[in-house]
This record gives sequence, structure tokens and C-alpha cells, in this order.
Amino acid sequence: MSRDKHQRRLLPAYLATGSGTASLPSTLDTLTALRASGRPLASYHTPVHGRVVELVTDGSLTAVEIAGYLGLPVSVCLMLAEQLVGDGLLNASVPTPDALAPSRAGRPSRQLMEEVLSGLQALRVA
Amino acid sequence: MDSKPSVSPDLRPAYLPEREHQRVKILVAGPMGVGKTTAIRTLSQIPTLHTEEVMTDAAVGTDDLSLAGLRDKKTTTVGIDFGRLTLPGDRIVLYLHGTPGQRRFLPLWEGIAFGALGALVLADTRRLDESFEVMDLIEERGLPYAVAVNIFPDSPDYDLEIVRSKLDLHPDTPLVTCDAREMNSSLNALIELTAHSISSVGVGVGAS
Repeated sequence: MSRDKHQRRLLPAYLATGSGTASLPSTLDTLTALRASGRPLASYHTPVHGRVVELVTDGSLTAVEIAGYLGLPVSVCLMLAEQLVGDGLLNASVPTPDALAPSRAGRPSRQLMEEVLSGLQALRVA
Repeated sequence: MDSKPSVSPDLRPAYLPEREHQRVKILVAGPMGVGKTTAIRTLSQIPTLHTEEVMTDAAVGTDDLSLAGLRDKKTTTVGIDFGRLTLPGDRIVLYLHGTPGQRRFLPLWEGIAFGALGALVLADTRRLDESFEVMDLIEERGLPYAVAVNIFPDSPDYDLEIVRSKLDLHPDTPLVTCDAREMNSSLNALIELTAHSISSVGVGVGAS
């Protein structure tokens, strides 16, 4: 239980977002996948913004994974990601496009769950 | 302030599959020490990650406090472990979220539970009652769940029917034993949960 001391925060989490928009609740999901667009950082971005962008330069990760790698609270990571998506530095993709139907409250569809089931069964055989 | 590399070279992130895929969340819940992290480590194909979430008054704006009964407002930190399991074919990536079982973490639950396929509740026969709280939390969210009794070397050998009645489970709720250290055993528990989640579709919200 006592590990993960290898990363030190460069900035306290409450400063990391560097702007007043930080109080807005995030519209991104923790499982939204993010990837750098290649657009350069602007002068108003903080070093933590830079670390997020750098982490997903070579591939995609979800917001919760970025939080895990960078040692940030998930809520802070979501706010940073939201700013970076808004600024065009990150591209975002939703976790399960078919779950957006309001009736489903984000829950996976029956078809998707059936695919999960057969995938798990295939793994068990292996 | 020294400049530090953001990620050390030996920590190259395990990136998501390049091909288009969907990501699905499954909660692994239960009281402390019941084997949540063990099960996640067993199932995860990446080194498990850990996040610390801070619960303060600041987080309250996004949470429904009327539900929370949150009387003491001091800052609480809660650690969450999670792992990732890509299913064959790279079309679906499962995220297994360790989820604390105490009601005082309720403000976090709304976000954690949102969109989840369901919850696997781990229980220990030596202290079954400690799983009640988390089962209540899950039922309040309307999430389907299955219960897996984690077998510890010194667990009393319980008849599953006795465990079922002690836990006061709904007859449809799956109850299995599992060894959280074993892949197939842990997979079985996830399979039971997924099958149960599928069969609960259409019971609650409109059929699809």
C-alpha cells in the first residue's frame, strides 16, 4: 500500500491548471482517450500542461491513466485535459460512443457487454 | 526549481491500441484488505496504476450533497488502484477500478460508478458484514453486481448457500468463490458479473 513515492509534483495540484477556468466541472470522462495533436504549447500553459501533452505524444492514454502516471488527482487531470482539448493541443475520443444515449446513463449497451463476455471467455481458454 | 523529466525512460506508458476500440469500466469493490488490488493486479495487462483523489469542500460542487449526509467536511484522500485488460482483437479495453467500500467516500462514487458495466464485490468469509456497506452503495447506484468470495488460506470453509443467506443476496445475484491471485479464477468472477449485467438490461431501463 505504501509505494508510488517516485514522482514529485512540480506544482501543487491547485496551481497546476493555472487559470480561473479550473472551477468548472469537467465534461470529459475518466476513460476519455487523449492524444497530442502536435500543436505547440502556448505561453500561458503551465509545466504540468506540458507534461500531460508530452505523455501522450507517442500514443493515447485515458485521463485516469494520465493522472496515474503523473501523480495528479483525477479531477485535476480532467481539468487540465479539458483546457488542452479546448486549446487544440489534445484530441479526445469518448470511451463508448454508443453509451451516449441519455436513456442508458452512460452504461454500455447489451451488444457491447456481449462482446465483453465473449472476450473474457476467450481469455480464460488461453 | 530543477527541471525534471516528466516520465522516466523505464516508465514508458502502456499506450492504448491504435485501432478503434471501446473502453469499458468495471468496479472492483469491497472492504480494505479483501483482495481488490490483488485481483486487479492478476487481471491487468499493464502495471497497475494508482491515483490519489482528494475530497474537499471544493469537490462538493460537482456532487449531490443532499445524498451524501456529509457532516464532517475535512479533507480526505482516497487512493484508487486500477488496471487494464485488453480483450482479444483489440476492440474492447476493460478498466478495473478498485473502489473503496466506505460510505464516507460517497462523493467519489457518482463519478466512479458512472458508465460502469457493473461491480465485482469481493468478500471475505471471516468478515462478511464488512461487505454490506459497499453492497448498499452499489445497489443505490442501480449498478448490477456479483459477489466473489475471495479464498484465503485460513478462511473458514463456508457453504455458498450459507454465505448467500448471510449476505442477504437477491436470488439473481451471482455468488462465486475466487482466488484473486489466479487469472482464470478472477476471470470467472468477471464472466459471472458480465453475464449478470447483460441479463439485467431490459429489466431496468428500456430494452435495447
